[in-house]
Amino acid sequence: MSTWKMAVKTVGVISFALIFASTGRAGDVKGKVSVQGIKSPENIAVYVDAIPGKKFDPPADHVAVDQRKMNFVPRVTVVLQGTTVDFVNSDSVAHNVYWPSVGGNKKLAHNLGTWPKGDKKSFQFTDLGTAALLCNVHPEMSAFVVVVPTPYFAVTDADGSFEMKDVPPGTYTLKTWSEDGKVTTQSVTVASGTANADLTVKK
Amino acid sequence: MHNGTKVGVISTILTAGCLLWILALVPRASAIPAFSRKYQTSCATCHNDYPELNDFGEAFKKNGFKFPMDDESFVKEPPVLLGAKAQKEAFPNAIYPGEIPGNIPISFRYSGNFIYNSKRPDAVAATSFTPRTDLFVPNTLTIIGAGSFGQNISFWIDNDISAAGSGANGGLGDGYAKFDVSHYVGLPSRVLNVRFGQFELDLPFSQARTIYPSPYDIFSETAVAQPTTTPGQTVFETTNNPFFLGTPQRGIELGGYANNRNFTWSVAFDDGTNSAYGLGPALSARNTKDVYVRVSQRFNLERDPQSRNAVQAAGPTGPRDHTSIRFGGFYYHGTNELNHPVNGSPQFTFLGTIQEPFYRAGGDLRFKYRNKIELFGVGMVGHDDNHTVDAVAQTISGARAVTFTGGFAGSNFWIYPWLIPYMRYDFVNSPTDFANGVSQYRTRNRFSPGFQVLVRANIKVIGEYQYHWGQPFIDPTTNNTLFFRPNSFVSGIDYVF
Repeated sequence: MSTWKMAVKTVGVISFALIFASTGRAGDVKGKVSVQGIKSPENIAVYVDAIPGKKFDPPADHVAVDQRKMNFVPRVTVVLQGTTVDFVNSDSVAHNVYWPSVGGNKKLAHNLGTWPKGDKKSFQFTDLGTAALLCNVHPEMSAFVVVVPTPYFAVTDADGSFEMKDVPPGTYTLKTWSEDGKVTTQSVTVASGTANADLTVKK
Repeated sequence: MHNGTKVGVISTILTAGCLLWILALVPRASAIPAFSRKYQTSCATCHNDYPELNDFGEAFKKNGFKFPMDDESFVKEPPVLLGAKAQKEAFPNAIYPGEIPGNIPISFRYSGNFIYNSKRPDAVAATSFTPRTDLFVPNTLTIIGAGSFGQNISFWIDNDISAAGSGANGGLGDGYAKFDVSHYVGLPSRVLNVRFGQFELDLPFSQARTIYPSPYDIFSETAVAQPTTTPGQTVFETTNNPFFLGTPQRGIELGGYANNRNFTWSVAFDDGTNSAYGLGPALSARNTKDVYVRVSQRFNLERDPQSRNAVQAAGPTGPRDHTSIRFGGFYYHGTNELNHPVNGSPQFTFLGTIQEPFYRAGGDLRFKYRNKIELFGVGMVGHDDNHTVDAVAQTISGARAVTFTGGFAGSNFWIYPWLIPYMRYDFVNSPTDFANGVSQYRTRNRFSPGFQVLVRANIKVIGEYQYHWGQPFIDPTTNNTLFFRPNSFVSGIDYVF
C-alpha cells in the first residue's frame, strides 16, 4: 500500500474514533434557578427524573448529615434512592432526628432516638420523596433529605446556581424540589460538553 | 360581740382576704424570650410549659443562664466584650474584663384573665360586691431582663405593671445579681453562689414562676391573732405578722448545687416583712434579720448510668426529662417587731417594742415521670409567739402561740407537649383564722382543676376552676351565721415575646 493510502486510512480511523467517542461521552448540566414569591433560590434540589428502563445501584459510601450548634448541616441533602445517610451529633447537647413522613406518606415516619456527641445513627432511604428532618427537643431545627431516582442531582447555592457532572448523553426531564416552592420540570438534552438549563421555581 | 359589729368584722376579713388573694393572683413571670433570641432556639428547649422548666432549663438556670456545656458555641448573639480576655493578666493594673449581652436582654409577658364568680348571697353582695364576671382582671404586663455578665455573674430583673393590684404603679418582683464564687474557695463550679438583691426565696415550688393562675394558699398564709379591734376593747392579742413565704425578700443568699446538680442548698438572710398595720404606727422594716434555709436532693431513677448523668435522658423517641423523685426541707425564722415607738407614739406607751419570734418549716416531694407526669406536694407548719396585753392593767403576758399547718398536692399531665391538664388541692388548718371567722371549718380546703394549652410555644390559653372552702356571712333575717363558697372559674391568655 502506498504511503498516501496509508495516511488516509489512518486519518479515517482516528476521525471515526473521535466521532464515536464524542457521541457517547458524558456531559455536564449547568444552570440557574430563579424564584418568584420565595425568599431565596438557595438550597433548591435539582435532579434528573426517573429514566424509563434505567435502574441505578445506590452508592456504597454513606452520606452524612450533622447536627452542629443546634442546626442540621447541610440543610438540604439529595440522595439516590437506596442511599444510607449517617446522622451525626457534633453538639454537646442531646439531639434526636425524626421525620413525620417521606413524600407525604406518614407510614414512612421514623424516629432515630437519641445518641451522644460524636456518635452517629444510620438509615437507608429506600422510598422516593422528601423527608423533613426534625429534632424533638429543639423544635426550630429542620432540614430535608430528598430521595431521587437517579444519581444526577445538585443543590443550588446562594444565587441559585447548580451543576451536575457526568450526565450521559440523552434527553431528560429536570425536576426541582424546594421547601416553599412548587415542583418545576424542564426538559434538557445533554450531549458532550455542557448543557444549560435555567429554571424558575414559583411559590 | 354585737351582731352589727360581727358583720363589720367578718366583712373586713372577707375584704382583706379577697384583696390579698387578688394581689397574689397577679402572675409573676419568668419566661424569658431574650434567651430564645440569644440562642435562636424555641422556648420548648428549656420549658415544658412556660415558665416551668424542663431538665435542660433547670440545668441552664443553675449554670447562671448559660448552656450547661460549650455555651459559647451555641450563642447566636455574641456578647459585647468590655475588655479583651488578655486583660485578666493585666489586672490589677486594668479593670478586670467582663461582658454584657449583645442585645438588650428584655422580654415582655402579657397575661389577661377572665373570671367568672359564683353568685354571692345577697347579704354578702350588700357589703362586699363581687361581679359575676370580670374581664381581664388582673391584666398584667411584665418586663423581664436577665442574662449573664461573663462566666460567673448572672442577673435577673422583673417588674409587673398591672391594671390593678400591687403592680398598678409598677412593682419590682425579683431584682438580683448572682455570683459563682466556687473557684475562689477551691470548689467545683456552681457549688457556692452568692445572690444579692430582692428575690423570691428558694421555695420548693416557685410562687412567682408557677404555671397556675392561683397562688399556693399555704405560701400566702399570714399569722394574725385578731384582725381588728373593737371600740372599748382593753385586752389584746398581739400577733400580727404580715409575712408570707410567697413574697419576695430583700437580702443575701448563699447557695449552690452539688452531686451532679442533684443536691441543692441555700441559706438566705433577709429583711423580712414587718407589721404594716396593727399595734402602733406602721413600720415595714425592723432591726432584726430573718433567715431561710432549704436543702433538697433529687434521686434520678433512670436505669442507664450514662443517661442518668446527662442533662436530659436518652429516650427511644428523643431526649426527655429524667424520671426522678426529689425530697426537700425548708425552714424560715424571723422576729416580728410590734409597738415601735415611731414618732413617740406606740399604741401601748407603757410597753417597749414587742418582739415575737416566728418560724415556718416544711417538707416537699416531687415525682416526675419523663415528660409525662408530675406529682408534687408540700407540707408546712407555722408558729408565731403571741402575747396578751391588758391596756387597763398595763401588763403583758405570754399567750397561746398562733399556729397553722397546711400544704398542697397536685399533679400535671402532658397528654401532648401542648396540652397539660392538672389538678391541685390546697389546704390550710388555722385555729386562729377559724376563730376569726375566716372559714366554716378549721381547715380551709380548695380544689383547683385546670388546663394549659400551648397554642404556640410562646402563647397559651389557661383555665382553672377553684372550688373554695365555705366562708361565713350573717343572714340579716335570722341573724344566724351561714356559709357560702366563693367558687370561681379563671380563664385567660398569656403570651411572651
